[in-house]
Amino acid sequence: MGGLPILSLITFAPLVGALLVALLPSQRHRLIRYTALGVSLVTLALSLVMLASLLGATATSEFSFTEQVSWIGAFGITYHLGVDGLSAALVVLTTLLSAICMLASFGPITNRVKEYFVSFLILETGMIGVFLALDLFLFYIFWEIVLVPMYLIIGIWGGVDRIYATIKFVLYTLVGSLLMLVAILATAFSHQAATGSWQGAFDLLTLRGTIGDPTLQMLAFAAFALAFAIKVPMFPFHTWLPDAHVQAPTAGSVILAGVLLKLGGYGFIRFAIPLFPYGAHIFAPLMIVLSVIAIIYGALVAIVQTDLKKLIAYSSVSHMGFVTLGIFSFNQQGVDGAILQMINHGLITGGLFLLVGVGYERTHDREIAKMGGWAARAPMYAALFGFFLFASVGLPGLSGFPGEFLVLLGAFLANPAVAGASAFVMILAAVYLLWMYQRVFTGPLSSFLEGLGDHLTDITRVEILTLAPLALLIIAFGVAPTLLSSSFTASVTTLLGAAANWVAP
Amino acid sequence: MPSYAPLLLVLPLAGFAFTAAFGRRLGKAAAAVPLAAIAAVWVMAMSLAIPALTGGLGETGATMPLFTWIASGSLHFDLGLHVDALTGALLLVVTTVGALVHLYSVGYMAHDDGYWRFFAYLNLFMFSMLLLVLVDNLLVVFAAWELVGLSSYLLIGFWYTKREPGLASKKAFITNRVGDVGFALGLMGLIAVFGTLDIPTILAGIQAGALSGPAATVLAMLIFCGAVGKSAQFPLHVWLPDAMEGPTPVSALIHAATMVNAGVYLVARMSPLFAASHSAMLVVAGIGIFTAIFAASIAFTQTDIKRVLAFSTLSQLGYMFAALGVGAWIPAIFHLITHGFFKGLLFLGSGSVIHAVDGEQEMPKMGGLAKKIPVTYATMLIGTIAIAGLPPLAGFWSKDEILGEAFKSGFAWVWLVGLIVAGATAFYMFRLMGLTFWGKSRIDPAVHVHESPWTMTLPLVVLAVPTVLIGVLLGFPFGHGLLAQGLEPVFAPATAALGRSEEPWTLFGIDGLLMLASVTIAAIGTAVGFRLFSTDHDATLRSFTARLRPLYEGSRSRWYFDDLNDAVFVRFGGRFARALWWFDRRVVDGAVNGVGALASGSGRGLRQIQTGRVQNYALGIAAGLIAIALFYLVVAT
Repeated sequence: MGGLPILSLITFAPLVGALLVALLPSQRHRLIRYTALGVSLVTLALSLVMLASLLGATATSEFSFTEQVSWIGAFGITYHLGVDGLSAALVVLTTLLSAICMLASFGPITNRVKEYFVSFLILETGMIGVFLALDLFLFYIFWEIVLVPMYLIIGIWGGVDRIYATIKFVLYTLVGSLLMLVAILATAFSHQAATGSWQGAFDLLTLRGTIGDPTLQMLAFAAFALAFAIKVPMFPFHTWLPDAHVQAPTAGSVILAGVLLKLGGYGFIRFAIPLFPYGAHIFAPLMIVLSVIAIIYGALVAIVQTDLKKLIAYSSVSHMGFVTLGIFSFNQQGVDGAILQMINHGLITGGLFLLVGVGYERTHDREIAKMGGWAARAPMYAALFGFFLFASVGLPGLSGFPGEFLVLLGAFLANPAVAGASAFVMILAAVYLLWMYQRVFTGPLSSFLEGLGDHLTDITRVEILTLAPLALLIIAFGVAPTLLSSSFTASVTTLLGAAANWVAP
Repeated sequence: MPSYAPLLLVLPLAGFAFTAAFGRRLGKAAAAVPLAAIAAVWVMAMSLAIPALTGGLGETGATMPLFTWIASGSLHFDLGLHVDALTGALLLVVTTVGALVHLYSVGYMAHDDGYWRFFAYLNLFMFSMLLLVLVDNLLVVFAAWELVGLSSYLLIGFWYTKREPGLASKKAFITNRVGDVGFALGLMGLIAVFGTLDIPTILAGIQAGALSGPAATVLAMLIFCGAVGKSAQFPLHVWLPDAMEGPTPVSALIHAATMVNAGVYLVARMSPLFAASHSAMLVVAGIGIFTAIFAASIAFTQTDIKRVLAFSTLSQLGYMFAALGVGAWIPAIFHLITHGFFKGLLFLGSGSVIHAVDGEQEMPKMGGLAKKIPVTYATMLIGTIAIAGLPPLAGFWSKDEILGEAFKSGFAWVWLVGLIVAGATAFYMFRLMGLTFWGKSRIDPAVHVHESPWTMTLPLVVLAVPTVLIGVLLGFPFGHGLLAQGLEPVFAPATAALGRSEEPWTLFGIDGLLMLASVTIAAIGTAVGFRLFSTDHDATLRSFTARLRPLYEGSRSRWYFDDLNDAVFVRFGGRFARALWWFDRRVVDGAVNGVGALASGSGRGLRQIQTGRVQNYALGIAAGLIAIALFYLVVAT
């Protein structure tokens, strides 16, 4: 890479793009759209270059392409970025889904187009920053930056109850993240007290393995965990999600499910557990119980949903339960599976939300009861929906399966009863998805759909273009999940080794 | 193993991909690629199966590692091929019936808009089924297990604009998933014990005694759950009769001759695991023989020709499990093969009947078809004699071996129930023949009855050949036929674990007597069925059913099992899920909104103080001063 700060380039390319778009005349919708898409494609290309050179090189240290510049010197706060296999995979997921979202927003967004794309590009910078930051303060800044554009995207371009949903989303997330800020400060102060210097007081790599105070470990872990648990979201902190999903525009839902929820899982793996392994072990039984509840409860509630988006939102609660279950199984299979599940949930659920959006463009409705027999009028749409649906059901050969299986296996090796309880989701997922599919796509054409007449067109080429990359990756990671897992499995081993050594301070 | 072996998987998968992508534009030519793929697969499969069955691949068979599928830490799950005699036996049925069903579908589906889609799905199924029997890792078996389930879902729901196929396909997938939960947990248990899902390693470990008795029981039962679902055994049998909503070639291929055998294959493949647990074997035998008689009792009264065959399939699969449970491994696989051929024939024959009478499936609206569709009639009669267990056709050989071994292994109850089922089978099959082909015609006069085109009758004729001959080819001489010789090494460890010894077969001894018993009961069933249904005996039948009304109604309603499931899972389960949703909105989210309301409410309350009027503030200050003054005055004095 030479001296090129590739990570900063990836992080701030969308922000630069946002400035560029902001300077464009607001009536030039086509220009704005293509500029935003172009910027997101450039960012995607940069992230792929980064991934390729990361995988190509033999890693000499845990993090690659690190950049560290003093920022608020008095407190030892630095601008510190770095990437490993885990964050690289999530960054590419983010840049890919962002580019897809830009394209998918061309048709649906006709109001305040400029502001929309500016918000979206700022959002992208925030998300990438979260995955690359290695300084707690910097991480916190990116974490909060994400909220602002998302607040606008739901609040301005959302559905009827968008204000309620977006305020709920922001306040709920803030409650968690402010406590996390307190915990970050407490950690930094304790570091300063112990070493007599602010040097490295906010630096993840410095702090890891040095926090010996059990009380601090427990309290700080609890605060971090609350912030992440709300984001994931874990039961019982999940109720903002269905509201936000239902009200968000399609691309907002895609990013919400595809990336934002992953920030929580990533936070656990990157920050909460390495910093506070003792606290993590103390709280692990609780986290596992909440995960199992989320898995089963989310699936059961999904069964009786009447709105397509809500159904998928509750299915996300269930699927994300696998992520936390895998993480807190504290073994290689569990954490490997959790990361696979994070990425694949992004691909699959992102695709499902895109598909619901495709249908909404034609029907302006998401009420399952009004649908029926859609496949007869839009066979290609129905086939693609079926594909993503079976990926979500966890069909082997598609990418949902390896992650779910490894998580269940990790849970089984940790505690067979937990895996036994969670495995019932295999049935429930088939119930809520196939029942929905049967009611929406098969049988005779419903009078509502029939009434739409020629408006009920099949999926267009551009819409297929937004789904095709996801579908191809779902097949690739289903047939050869090692393509993905080989990039992060070493990071997981390191993490687990470090956490295991620190069980009892 | 020959280097072309992976093509057995690649060709049907490529056929599926090609036809799915371009089939729509190809019209009637869409069948060409899938047909060619399957024809090639058949040739290759035979050139693998024949050496595998005759010992040409050695006692343990041949393997070919391909690539690592899933890896995590020290665990890895690899895709590799393994062909031994058991695989060979399955290949024989799967590819032969598969190829013939492809050919048959050219005629049967000729007028269907989804012609190309049908062939794409068929090739997808062939890929999945071949994967299931060819691989040597249980996780890949599980993957194939789910993929055949997908094909089955797609093909049952093939006519998606109608309501019932959608319901039936969903039911099939979900019911199978119930069993798969057990299967998946069983796999995890095996990983926990053996650190791998490589089948040879696990089986070697079990032989070496790595598994305690209780662990063997638990693991065998969990794996068996999967088999119960896929092979539609009680209590997960409910999906198979409904699966008849799919086109008839699918019923023949997937829901009679191949996919439903997967459970039998799985138990047979893991035979040392089951043999390690006496209780597990007992459960397998019990579930099997119960399903056999339970399904037969329903087949008595069904009027839809395909449903009769579906319940008959359940019953025959039950036979196979009963055989596995008593340790009659080889007879179980023998019956799998013979049943695959004759039931495939019967289903394709029923399709030809349905084709002839313009889609009618109700036997009360048939009758007297024998002369009008002679080829279909003749071949179905052969199939019926075979399933009835009359010598020398295929069913006789395998059924007789199952019953004989059950008795000789000390499972007299399995033998007795099996004997009753054998008689019942002969009876209800001749009832089917009678209602369909004999007596007066009850067909709507507007229907022009016609024999099917050659693409449909040729597979019937071809399948009639093994239906007549395969029994004697594989099963003679008694107890030491070709199949027994081939499969002997596969099941040697399990047989040894059960402590069974090989005894010579005696015509003038116990074996001859047992054979006489099974032939006699088959003949009685046949005679009664023929007597009652060969000509019109409506009055006799009506008085008979009137006397046994509750039994008759129970049998017709499939012993109310679907109603029970509906009440427990659909209605009660639905109510529970709705209650949870209420809880989610009112309690979980209610608490969230409550906190919000509390915050904004207290803010609104406190805001009242901030009026901005100087007088109010002055009043406040004055009140405060008075309060402080009073405080000092009261407290100080």
